[in-house]
Amino acid sequence: MIPQSFEYHAPRTVAEASSLLARLGSDGKILAGGHSLVPMMKLRLAAPKHIVDIGRIAELAHIREEDGTIQIGALATHFNIESSPLLKDRCPLLVETAREIGDVQVRNRGTIGGSLAHADPAADWPAAILALGGEILAVSARGERRIPARDFFLDVMTSALEFDEILTAIRVPALPARGGDAYLKLHHPASGFAVVGVAARVLLNAQGAVQEAAVGITGVAPKAYRATGVEAALRGKSPSARHIEAAASHAADGIEVNSDLYASADYRRHLAAIYTRRALERAAERAAAS
Amino acid sequence: MKLDGSYTIPAPREVVWQQLMNPETLAKSLPGCERMQPNPDGSYQAELKVGIGAVKGSYQARIEILNPVSPERYRMKVEGKGAGGFVNGEGLLTLTENGSAQTLITYSGEAQVGGVVASVGQRLLQAAARQIVSQFFQAFAKQVQAVAFPPPSTDPLIPSSPR
Repeated sequence: MIPQSFEYHAPRTVAEASSLLARLGSDGKILAGGHSLVPMMKLRLAAPKHIVDIGRIAELAHIREEDGTIQIGALATHFNIESSPLLKDRCPLLVETAREIGDVQVRNRGTIGGSLAHADPAADWPAAILALGGEILAVSARGERRIPARDFFLDVMTSALEFDEILTAIRVPALPARGGDAYLKLHHPASGFAVVGVAARVLLNAQGAVQEAAVGITGVAPKAYRATGVEAALRGKSPSARHIEAAASHAADGIEVNSDLYASADYRRHLAAIYTRRALERAAERAAAS
Repeated sequence: MKLDGSYTIPAPREVVWQQLMNPETLAKSLPGCERMQPNPDGSYQAELKVGIGAVKGSYQARIEILNPVSPERYRMKVEGKGAGGFVNGEGLLTLTENGSAQTLITYSGEAQVGGVVASVGQRLLQAAARQIVSQFFQAFAKQVQAVAFPPPSTDPLIPSSPR
């Protein structure tokens, strides 16, 4: 339970951190909240030569709204998000997702940026950020990049970030009028990770039909994904129980479904449809009540 | 853990078979392969640096090709050991002609993974294994293409095609 020795760096600014990372190349590893990386280091499954601790970079810990877009700094903890009055009012999906993560200790220390960069296929944030059509900001010595959420997750624990890039912030649109959203999850009983997690946002038009539905699913495949088959099936329909159920049956269409000792691929596929239906129902109810 | 799938290589079956039997091509295709040497008994000893995301480890692997039926199929046996744990796997690879210019490689096998990697990473193993297998086939397809369709000569004295 003692990690291999490593060099420790604690830059105070993003510029300082990015020049460090440019120098260290693939030997450098960013430490944020440390709730994924440190356990792996203690088990010696990860043994980075250099740790770049971004925890002291004050500019990365913000949550704010600019012109209808919510921006969350990479260092915002799950608890910061869960307890943010701004997000409760303007982007409740993030609050609901944060509540479902891990346990109190993890939520107090773990960060949204760290979780996204880690790209665990059963983490909760990827589902929410995908459903919201968010953007991920990445900074390196070469400049800033905005990566659409749907291009960010590449494979198991593999994101679009380069070695020398720091995930600095996440941008998502605030909840619009006649919109509603929801995050529902089946927790793995031991790890707390999502066996299946579904984030949904539904926008209704003036007639009460679905103008746009967006569904992000985690835990089911090697990477979180947008259930585009579900979204297309619901577009233009009334959000009735029958329409939602029919659309939700497409939750794992064309997806290579994970299996492990706890849940077989068939069981996960089944759960994906059930949780998608429930998340859409709740999101549509909230949209209608807004 | 069961592992199965297939991959299409854009080259004729004979070429694909030759390259699958070529230790040099295999060494260039195996993810993180740092060294690969033949053993006296016909098997190979390889040193692999395999990793998914931040989890990376060095593994010593013994790779053995059994019952080759040219150019159709063979069994492959892999035994690997490293600080993170061990992997033992055996599977059947089948090559099917898909037209004259494409070969479908189908694989199916069983792998046992043990040690720390397995005890903390069980829920990720299947997906991680798939990722490593697909990295192998992608790299292998590139190697095969380089052999089957070498880039045209850049030497102006040797025309790359007859005029």
